[in-house]
Amino acid sequence: MSDISLNRGAPMTLRGLFAQIVDLFPKSGLTISIPAAAIVFFGLVLPVGYLLLLSFNPAQLGVIELVPQVTFANYLKLVGDGYYWSILGRTLWVAAATTVIASALGFILAVSLWQTSPKWRGLLTVVVLAPLLVSIVARTFGWIIILGNKGLFNRALEAVGIAPMQIMYTDTAVIIGLVHVFIPYVVLTIMASLDRIDPLLAEAAKTLGASGATTVREIILPLAMPGVVAGATIVFSLAMSSYVTPAMMGAANSYVLATVVYQQFVMNFNWHFGAVLVAILLATSLLTILFMLTAVARLSRRWGEGA
Amino acid sequence: MKTDFGAIGFKVLVVLLYLFLVAPLLMVVLTSFGSDAVESFPPKDFSLIWYWKALSEPSFMAGLRTSLTIAALATLIATPLGAAAAFGIHRGRFPGRNALQALLLAPLLVPGIVIGIALLVAFSAIDFGTAWQRLLFGHVLVILPYSTRTTLAALVRLDPSLEEAAALFGASRWQTLVHVTLPSIAQGIMAGAIFGFILSFDEAAVSLFLIDVDTTTLPIAIMSHIEYSVDPSVTALSSMLILATLLLTVVLERLFGLRRVLGAS
Repeated sequence: MSDISLNRGAPMTLRGLFAQIVDLFPKSGLTISIPAAAIVFFGLVLPVGYLLLLSFNPAQLGVIELVPQVTFANYLKLVGDGYYWSILGRTLWVAAATTVIASALGFILAVSLWQTSPKWRGLLTVVVLAPLLVSIVARTFGWIIILGNKGLFNRALEAVGIAPMQIMYTDTAVIIGLVHVFIPYVVLTIMASLDRIDPLLAEAAKTLGASGATTVREIILPLAMPGVVAGATIVFSLAMSSYVTPAMMGAANSYVLATVVYQQFVMNFNWHFGAVLVAILLATSLLTILFMLTAVARLSRRWGEGA
Repeated sequence: MKTDFGAIGFKVLVVLLYLFLVAPLLMVVLTSFGSDAVESFPPKDFSLIWYWKALSEPSFMAGLRTSLTIAALATLIATPLGAAAAFGIHRGRFPGRNALQALLLAPLLVPGIVIGIALLVAFSAIDFGTAWQRLLFGHVLVILPYSTRTTLAALVRLDPSLEEAAALFGASRWQTLVHVTLPSIAQGIMAGAIFGFILSFDEAAVSLFLIDVDTTTLPIAIMSHIEYSVDPSVTALSSMLILATLLLTVVLERLFGLRRVLGAS
C-alpha cells in the first residue's frame, strides 16, 4: 500500500484505488459488466423462464409456486376454446394491417426525407421522429379527441353532410393509433438503408429518362428493401404485443392478446393460463425478429452491400 | 416543361402524412387552452382553467411525483451500470463477450407487457418489495439496454488514436480515462440518460403490473382517468408532457443526433 502512495507522490486515496482498478481494465471488462448483466438475468431471463415453466403446471387460481407436475392442459384449453382463437385472429389482423399501412406510409416519408436538401432534412427528420418520444398516453388521447363520436372528424363529416361514423372503440381506431405510433420506427430503419444509396444513382436514372415513379420502383425500393423488412418486422412484433393503444381505443376490455393477458393476470389471477398467452406473445415476437434477421441478411447479400 | 403530376401527388401525400403525424399532438395542445369540453374544437376562448384543474387533481400530482422520482432514480442507477457494461463489452477481451452483449440488449426484444408480467410473477413468488421498489427495479431493467447501447455507439465512434496519443504523452490509464475517453463519450452517455429518463417517465406496459392502489405512475393515472371521462384537464396535463418531451428531443438531437439515440445507424 505504501509503495503506491510513494510512487504517486500522494497519499493512498480513493482515486488511487480506482486507478489500480482501472489498470486491470482489459481483464476486468467482464467484472464491470456484471452488475448490469445480473439485473437483466435476474429481472428478465429467470422470471420469463419461471413463467414459461408455470404454463406447464396445472392451473390453480392464485397459486404461483412451481410444482413438479407437467401438463399441457393450459395449452389444450387455449386450443379448444374458440374465444381465444377469435382474440388471436383479431390481434393478428390488427397487427398485420398496422404493419402494411405503417410500412407503406413510412417508406413514402423516408424517401421524401432522403430527397430533401440537407438544409431541411435534419429539421424534418426530427419532426418525423419526435412523436416516438412523446408519451404514448398523450398521443392516444389526441386521437380520442379527433375520432370521438363528437370529435373533429365526425363534425367535419357533418359539416359536409355525411352521417357521423363510429370510429372510436373499433379496429379502425386501434389501427390508426398504432400506425401513428409506429411510423417513426419504419422511417428510421428505411433511412438507414437509404443512407447507403448513392444519390447520384437516382440522378443517373433521371438522366436516362426514367420518371420519378420508375426511379422509386426500380431503384430506390429494391435498395431500401432491407430497411422496409426490418421496419415492418419491428412494427409487427410491437403491434402484436401493444397494450396501451388497444386498451384506450379498442372495444371493451378483452380485445386483443395483450389486454386479455392483462385480465388473466391482474383480474382473474389465472397465472398458469395467462402464462400460455405470454408464451404466445413471446414466441411471436422472437420468431418475427428471427425472420427479420435472416430476411435482411439475405436481401443485403443480394444487393451486395456487405454491411 | 411538362407538369409531373406524379411528383405533385407525392408532395401532397407527404404533406398529408406530416399532418397525420402532428395532428393528435396539435389537437391536445389546442383544446387544452379552451374553456369548453373536449368536443368543442376549435376553442371559442382562451383559458388556462384546465391547467389549474390538472395541477389540483390529487391523483395526477401523486402520479407525477412517483413518475418523476422513479424516472430520475432509474436513470441515475441505469446510466452508470449501462455505461460500465458497454465499456466492458467494448474493451474487455473475454470469452462469451457476444453472449453478454446479447443478454444486455435482450430487454429491447421482449415486449413490455411480457417484462411486466414476468416481473410481477417473480416479485410475487419471492414476495419482493413495495410497489414503489418494484417500479424502480422494473424501470432500471427497461432503460438499461438504452444506456448500454448509446455508450457503445459512442465508444465505437471514438478515435482510438486519441487514447494512444494520451498514453504516448505519458498519461496513466486513469488519466486517459478521465481526461480523454470519458469527455469524448460523455455526450453519448448523457444522451442515453435523457432518453432513458423519457422512456421511464412515459412507460406504461411494464408499470401496469407493478403498481398498487397507493402507488401509481402518471401515465397510468391518466389512462384510468380517461376510462371514466374524457376530461379536458387531461389535455392540459398531456400538453405539458408533450412540450417537455419535445424540448428534451431537441436537446437530444443537438447533443448526439436523434437517429443515433434511437439506434438505427
